[in-house]
Amino acid sequence: MYISLSSSFFSFFSLLLLTLLKLSPVSASSITITIPPSNILPNPHALLPPSTHATLTTLPPPKSVSSSPKNEGTQNVQRESHILAAPMTRSSTFVFEDLRLPGVDASASYLLDIRSREFIFAPYRVDVAADGTVLGIWEAFRGNPWDNRGPEKFVTQAGVSSDVVIEAKVVGRRGFYEERSKFSPLSLFMNPMILLAIVASVLLFGMPKLLENMDPEMRAEFEKQSRSGPLSNAGRSALAGGGPDLAGWMAGASSNLNVGADSASKGTTTGRETGGSGRRRG
Amino acid sequence: MWLQVVLLLASCAPLVLAIFADEVNHVDFHYALLGIPSAQRTFFHRPSSSSNASLLYTLSEKSFLGAVNPKDGSIVWRQNLARWSSDAAAVESFLRAGDGENTIVSALGGCVSSWGALDGKLSWMRHFSNGPVRDLELLEHESSITNFNSRDVITLTGDKTGIIRRLDGGSGSTKWEFQDESGDLPFQVSTSPAEIFYVSLQPSLLKGYKIKVTVLDARTGQQTKHQILSSENDISTPESVLFVGSNTASPIIVWTDKGQKTLRINVVGTKQVHSVSIENETGEEIRRVEVKAPRCLSCLPHFLVHYETDSSSWAEVYHTDLHSLAVSKAYKLPRVSEKSVFATSTRFADVYFTRITESEISVMSSASKDVLGKWLRKQQADAHVFHAASEVVIKSDSAAVRFATVLDSGDWELVRNGATEWTRHEALAGAVFASWVEMDGGEELVHELEIEGHESLYGAYVHRVKRHTRDLQHLTRWLRELPKRIFTSLLTDEVSNLDGFGLAKLILVATQNGRLLAIDTGKDGSVSWNIKAAETDNWTIKAIATNSGFATIHAEDGSSLSVNITTGRIISRNPGTIRIKSVAMLTDEPSGIVIGVKYDGTPLQSINRPGHIVTLSDDGRALGWSIRNNKSPLWEFLPPRGQRITQATCRPSHDPVASIGKVLGDRSVLYKYLNPNLALITAVGDNSATFYLLDAVSGKVLHSTVQTGVDTKQPITSVISENWFAYSLWTDVTATSDAKGYQLSISELYESSVPNDRGPLGSANNYSSVYDLDAPPRPYVISQSFMIPESISHMGVTQTRQGITIRQLLCTLPASNAVIGIPRPVLDPRRPVGRDPTASETEEGLFKYAPFLEFDGKWYLTHSRDIADIQGIISSPTLLESTSLVFAFGVDIFGTRVTPSQAFDILGRGFSKLQLLATITVLTVGVIILQPMARKKEVDLLWQS
Repeated sequence: MYISLSSSFFSFFSLLLLTLLKLSPVSASSITITIPPSNILPNPHALLPPSTHATLTTLPPPKSVSSSPKNEGTQNVQRESHILAAPMTRSSTFVFEDLRLPGVDASASYLLDIRSREFIFAPYRVDVAADGTVLGIWEAFRGNPWDNRGPEKFVTQAGVSSDVVIEAKVVGRRGFYEERSKFSPLSLFMNPMILLAIVASVLLFGMPKLLENMDPEMRAEFEKQSRSGPLSNAGRSALAGGGPDLAGWMAGASSNLNVGADSASKGTTTGRETGGSGRRRG
Repeated sequence: MWLQVVLLLASCAPLVLAIFADEVNHVDFHYALLGIPSAQRTFFHRPSSSSNASLLYTLSEKSFLGAVNPKDGSIVWRQNLARWSSDAAAVESFLRAGDGENTIVSALGGCVSSWGALDGKLSWMRHFSNGPVRDLELLEHESSITNFNSRDVITLTGDKTGIIRRLDGGSGSTKWEFQDESGDLPFQVSTSPAEIFYVSLQPSLLKGYKIKVTVLDARTGQQTKHQILSSENDISTPESVLFVGSNTASPIIVWTDKGQKTLRINVVGTKQVHSVSIENETGEEIRRVEVKAPRCLSCLPHFLVHYETDSSSWAEVYHTDLHSLAVSKAYKLPRVSEKSVFATSTRFADVYFTRITESEISVMSSASKDVLGKWLRKQQADAHVFHAASEVVIKSDSAAVRFATVLDSGDWELVRNGATEWTRHEALAGAVFASWVEMDGGEELVHELEIEGHESLYGAYVHRVKRHTRDLQHLTRWLRELPKRIFTSLLTDEVSNLDGFGLAKLILVATQNGRLLAIDTGKDGSVSWNIKAAETDNWTIKAIATNSGFATIHAEDGSSLSVNITTGRIISRNPGTIRIKSVAMLTDEPSGIVIGVKYDGTPLQSINRPGHIVTLSDDGRALGWSIRNNKSPLWEFLPPRGQRITQATCRPSHDPVASIGKVLGDRSVLYKYLNPNLALITAVGDNSATFYLLDAVSGKVLHSTVQTGVDTKQPITSVISENWFAYSLWTDVTATSDAKGYQLSISELYESSVPNDRGPLGSANNYSSVYDLDAPPRPYVISQSFMIPESISHMGVTQTRQGITIRQLLCTLPASNAVIGIPRPVLDPRRPVGRDPTASETEEGLFKYAPFLEFDGKWYLTHSRDIADIQGIISSPTLLESTSLVFAFGVDIFGTRVTPSQAFDILGRGFSKLQLLATITVLTVGVIILQPMARKKEVDLLWQS
């Protein structure tokens, strides 16, 4: 088993080695992406799970048939995807070492994504020369043309290949859960229907008590005052069996208050009459 | 009327409602798995030198590296190493950890990485291009401990030319490199305090291998000497070497002669080979010889040799003398007529061996024969122990032991002092196929009703009365349970038991290694049964058909297997004759007919009933067949030159349509193009993907769409349902497109572009796809594409009983290990582009199109869970129209229920029954108080007037 496997490994790896040796310039730069603490992500080390990773994705230009070890049988010139992935390190960074395209001697324009389930990071565009040096890094806008670049993060000085350090930008945090409305007695009492009921019951039970405990002189004055008020009319009509006109009063019928009072008193009489007739029939 | 009400309700609901935090683990379940742990790469390890607590680490067969809390079996962290290693064909992997260190070093393929032992985050990673890693050791040398508190790593890489490197434990940088130019087979490395031993196998002239030990200086990597042991008569393959001990004070190499009569032991670095004759009293053939030795430097140089025959097992413990380097036998563990599994554990310098047999567990020290602890063990059938990792604690003179074992069933169990603490169903990690099965329930009633339907009026009446009388026997039990049911439903927060509404379903999961498991969604996804269904390492399942209480599993080799759904008992097996590429299931028949399809696309059998099937052949054609005829296809679809068909999908078998049209804002209707025989075929070219919509009866291409600049190596997925289809792919910048990234496209099919018009179907009473002129009519297709933040590996559609509830497009996201359900209204291709919606469009629920579709957190069905490596997603309707069950499988198993239009037909947890009761009570009390008062007032009024 070892021998057969190792021989197949050998063929595969020797091919891989050959291709790597063929284009192995020394001046390849690496990219390090750091995650600075921000308002959305105050503590990247604690809040990001170990599955967080960064990817560089591109579809390189077609490779020439001679330099592609994998496409031995097929004659077509297929563009093969190139995805580089880097896991999150203990210092909350992502490091990409070798940015060259395998088998193709061409420059590449990568889309840099940081994959996290809960936090949304801004995507970047990373342009890399054929020898692996980083030409420039810009913010990218999804749903926009690729050439529509955003703020510049890094641009190389001519001829200098250096290791690049950029900061990732956290855009937002996903909320996975729905808030369940909590039952609280306070919210129940803030309900206008309940408030109305409370006011009504206070009037119903509290007012007679209040009137009873009042000074006789003050009571007389109060009654005199309330006789001219609309509330007492409505109250009297309600006591008399007719419909309370409180609604009408509230709806703004106060301007011609007397008309309302008149109709209410009329209602009282009719009510009394029907009541009377009913009794007679019984 | 009811339909309208429900439709209204469904349309009134907000676009999406995420899961409530308190419903987690009630509506969903999740098995976070690692795969079956492998023997050499599973151990207890203390991740911090200041604490005594240890975690259980494993690198599984699925290349998942994970830390498990030994208390409850929950995953602390895990990493899918295959994601970082480019060579998929990696065979060997390694996992090493130094005691008390907070890093753990793994190797897979050509990739060596060091991870934080507590948080699973990367310390460093190195990729080697000269071949896979052959061996990995930590250098147990005082001077190697750097300021990072990590030991240096010794790696051996290469297939023909071994390269040994010393990597810095803190940064991973190479300290020195030694290349072996001799052309010997690189085998292993071993370390001692001052020296590194490189063990290679030198092919001898005639046959077999000589063991060559090259001694390197640990500081400089210079070769100091080398020795060749003449072992060519014993060792024919690298597997013949039983053990190369590393990191012990005196590392050893152990092998046996061909007849397994003599055990040969060499203390590495010396020339002397000790020969010990194997004491085999019965003369039975020895099946397996295994050497167990501790790994750490400070431990006593003791080791155990375990012999196993077909019926019995025994072991011998040897000691190495550190001064004379002589190996001597210390004691023998008795021979038992059972299989044994041994585990080694160390505590400071002491070495302990744990022996697990079928009937007992015993712990002994390496120094003496005395048994320190003994527990009885009852082994269930199908629970043969494969291997174990143990941890021993000694208190005065009693011992406590806990060990994690891998059982035959694929379960990973932790046993503490003889009692099972937890069980993880790691076999599920290799799930390759899953299918819903209907639990037996209504079938008896259906049968009874059928009898009634066929009898005379009087007979049916009598039968029915009898049936109801029979049902009365359940009455007493029902009455007895009634108070309990009422109380539990009032007191617990739990959603009322909805199992009666079809939420309790069984899912059969077939795993790669030939196991079949049943998962019950009604019991929080617990495993109902687990059987070994096939003796294979690569079980490929094509279909699972269910029929009145049993399920039939159709495998790729043509064989089929019937199991009882409730018990998991195998009813029958049919050996296969012809390999099948796929299976066509005719679900409209009550019994369900299954037609296998050969690799050339020909159905295996013909059945005399109407129906059509579409098959794919190996040479890249799509073929349409009538079920009546399996000799010649009705039509053949050949994609243009340079394209090959990769996928064909059709509408789900259960795909009800509640409304045949879409009502627009001005009350006109766009009629949906509802053809039950639609097939969506994906064909990929060099850098293009073409989607063909075919009529399966006539084979006519109804619609096609081409995408250029497509990365065909990344997942291209598609789904079709009702009158729409969706697909997702990666596109790059081309001459015609400026976008780079993942795309999701949606297309809706309508009968006509004009509202209130049904096209040629409008006036026709009958319609044929074949005989009518220019039939079938082409649909009017509206499409929209969105850029999405990440790739979608699989797609599905939620299914509900009547299709009234809006559908969700289920997508699995491999990059963020999640499953999302995108509500269909978001993906409406009629969303206005470049302008705000008009009033009538707003009424329809359309909003302005935006080219980028960010995945909302509320769409995440998996919320904050990490669902690794999903290979498939399936959905099933329930008896509740609002609810659909979703199940995703792969390495992890995840099941949930979704309510795309809110749970409009059930009372959720937000409905407080106690609050309702309290309100009723308060109102009643109020009425009782107010009633006499009101009466008194009425009476007073009458008297006083």
